[in-house]
Amino acid sequence: MTPSRRETLQWMMAAAALPLARWTPPAMAAGHPPPFTVVVDWPAALPPPPPAQGYGRDPDLMAPKVTWPLILSKAQRATVDLLGDLILPADERSPGAGTLGVGAFVDEWISAPYPTQRKDREQVLGGLIWLEAQSRALHGAAFAAITPAQRAGLLDALTVTAPVAMMAKPVAFMDTLRHLFVLGFYSLPEGKADMGFIGDQPTPGDYPGPSPEALTHFAAILAALGLAVS
Amino acid sequence: MTAAPFDPAATAADVIIVGSGAAGGMAAYSLTKAGLHCLMLEAGRDYDPQAEVNMFAPESDAPLRGASTPDKPFGYFDATVGGGWEVDGEPYTMREGTNFRWYRSRMLGGRTNHWGRHVPRWGPYDFKPFSRDGLGVDWPIGYDDVAPFYDRVERMIGVNGGRIELENHPDSPPSCLMPPPKPRVPEMLLKATCESMGIPVRTAHTAVITRDMPDKVAPRSACFNATPCTRGCTIGAMFQTTTSFLPMAKATGNLTIVTDAMVSRVTMAGAGRAAGVEYVDRKTGARHQVNARAVILAAGTCETTRLLLNSGDGPAGLANASGQLGRNLTDSTGASFRAYVPALADRPRYNEDGIGGQHVYIPFWLYEEQKRGELDFARGYHFEIGGRFGIPPAAALPRVWGAGLKKAVRTASGATIGMTLRGEMIPNKDTYCEIDPGVRDRFGIPVLRFAFRWSQHELNQVAHGRRTAHAVFKRMNATILDPELPPEKLITAGGEIIHELGSARMGADARSSVVDSYGQTWDVTNLVLMDGAIFASGAHKNPTLTILALALRASERLAARFKSGAFA
Ligand SMILES: Cc1cc2nc3c(=O)[nH]c(=O)nc-3n(C[C@H](O)[C@H](O)[C@H](O)COP(=O)(O)OP(=O)(O)OC[C@H]3O[C@@H](n4cnc5c(N)ncnc54)[C@H](O)[C@@H]3O)c2cc1C
Ligand code: SF4
Repeated sequence: MTPSRRETLQWMMAAAALPLARWTPPAMAAGHPPPFTVVVDWPAALPPPPPAQGYGRDPDLMAPKVTWPLILSKAQRATVDLLGDLILPADERSPGAGTLGVGAFVDEWISAPYPTQRKDREQVLGGLIWLEAQSRALHGAAFAAITPAQRAGLLDALTVTAPVAMMAKPVAFMDTLRHLFVLGFYSLPEGKADMGFIGDQPTPGDYPGPSPEALTHFAAILAALGLAVS
Repeated sequence: MTAAPFDPAATAADVIIVGSGAAGGMAAYSLTKAGLHCLMLEAGRDYDPQAEVNMFAPESDAPLRGASTPDKPFGYFDATVGGGWEVDGEPYTMREGTNFRWYRSRMLGGRTNHWGRHVPRWGPYDFKPFSRDGLGVDWPIGYDDVAPFYDRVERMIGVNGGRIELENHPDSPPSCLMPPPKPRVPEMLLKATCESMGIPVRTAHTAVITRDMPDKVAPRSACFNATPCTRGCTIGAMFQTTTSFLPMAKATGNLTIVTDAMVSRVTMAGAGRAAGVEYVDRKTGARHQVNARAVILAAGTCETTRLLLNSGDGPAGLANASGQLGRNLTDSTGASFRAYVPALADRPRYNEDGIGGQHVYIPFWLYEEQKRGELDFARGYHFEIGGRFGIPPAAALPRVWGAGLKKAVRTASGATIGMTLRGEMIPNKDTYCEIDPGVRDRFGIPVLRFAFRWSQHELNQVAHGRRTAHAVFKRMNATILDPELPPEKLITAGGEIIHELGSARMGADARSSVVDSYGQTWDVTNLVLMDGAIFASGAHKNPTLTILALALRASERLAARFKSGAFA
């Protein structure tokens, strides 16, 4: 089973159910002020989503199909792809998430007519609008046009452990987007390879269990924790 | 398939079986082998796992990467057809203040096509709970009555597992179980940790075969350790009636299956004797009546109860002289705990697929302490456990972007462990189902209304489970990822664990129960119930192995009554 096949569901449920950044040390609870003085307002309202249908309770599982129209504009999609390559950038193990096309998955997700996805739509669309406005307020140009260092400054401000109140919504937007990119990226073959995932292959006969290397490592864990082999 | 199925229009059926899931499948298998002509009515559509299960498609082929949605609550590729927590046009309602969830699929094979397959045996205490703690009622039968049927069911459906050797966890005799798979590293770590704290970890019993089960009609192959079982299994390795009992029963020539047949009530031939049932053709809306010498209800606990409540001529329903019909409803308790385990970070990769689900689990171990009065709850719980390479849960990832995020995902993959609690609920007077006086489904059949309440026993049990899970996590120096919630928020909603039981319970006499220990209703001699409705109580252990064992026992008793001329 791929991570997604067996664990996506859990991942998503966990993502939906758990508040993020639970590891925040109490000392930081007052919040991290952003490194800039102007913070633009979160957009007051979004256009209602266009009418769309879900895939129903009995779709053809042999021919999976997305049944709803995608809602991101061309420019928004370009920004999302750009953000994908920043959030999960190319390195020696795998390409960037935007380049790999995970932005299409983000679009599919926020366009879907289900409650979780509708909520994420508010966050992501609201966030994209906010990011554009904030970029213009700070640097006088669209997010796509500012310098890499300026973009990094914005992303840093959107990923602090404990944001101050006025940054709460923008940070929540980045949480959502980041987690959608993680899900979308690591459920693709390239993402699985990146994680070193081994599996999805029929292994007839008895399940062989951990490799000798994994067992050696496990023995070291037990020793470090002071646990006996059982 | 060897013979043409018998035609109920030409030959009257000996037995009508309502439902084709675990209980109905077992009844059809056992009774057709005994030579009885069976007519099976299934509300759901025809379903062929061989043609419809997309076993190997990666989740990235599915809309939303297979994430759960209201349309597909367990993910896109999950085998559930036509239902879930909601079935279109077939609502259920709740008393004020109740949060109950009723999982139904509308397909041949019922919920066996996508269940979890954890099949622990129940033990002596589970059948005699009142004798142990004075709560609820005892069953009219004990473990020894059921044990021979457990032995046979384990061999019939194919179960892998190992010895448990713990109080109230009876072991299977040799030759019942197939060899279990080896544990994975997170499971081994949990075992070492728990056992250092006096908490046992044992090989799970799972209805997935690890050895081939040859058969002329429905051969089943050993699991190949690679695909998610909840999609269904085209090689027949996991137990589902659509790849085992149903084709085998059909091959006898004694079974006719009618799908899309929504049974609305039991019809009567006279006081105390059923004539057959009435059903609605789901596609055309046409109503039909079919007759037989005996009727088996195996539509799932709540639906079987609904059918009885909707039958007979009074508001109390049929077979309800005791007034117990609809009462005593239980579900298992549920709660989930999760932690990030730094010791498992960046561990060496290997194939961690194995058979679907857990390879080991934590059985309840505190019976002695409970007996001494040291626990603030009655009855037990167990933990089902998880932890596997894959995408780490969101809560295990720090709030970073860029190279740091990629690194964090790699590090945390395979470094989280989950402990999922399942516990026993004690029947209480505030938990039941009844007919809603005002609401009907799209076939015009009155629907069920639920009332549900957890008692302090269940809440204390879940709180204890959390203390245990967190102590285990701490012993591993893990970071607990659970939100801080009180037990009443932590515990699942009623019905959510999908172990509904008890609403037409068995007993030793007609005054206090709906059926005898063979599922035969006290009031109607040729009407037999075979699903979880007949349970006198729940257990912390998942129910389906026991449903199957009791259905086998009830079917053989019914066949014997046919032989002795009881229905001539
Ligand atoms: C996701 C999931 C995980 C689970 N995990 C486990 C597990 O690990 N271990 C375990 O022991 N149990 C588990 N269960 C529970 C298990 O599936 C049930 O206990 C079992 O299937 C019950 O068998 P049944 O025959 O009573 O009902 P079902 O399997 O539900 O079958 C009932 C059948 O009757 C049909 N029916 C209903 N109403 C009518 C009507 N009016 N007319 C005609 N037909 C009708 C239904 O369509 C259905 O096909 C799980 C269930 C689910 C959904
Ligand atoms: S893991 Fe095994 S039992 Fe489960 S679906 Fe795959 S082959 Fe079948």
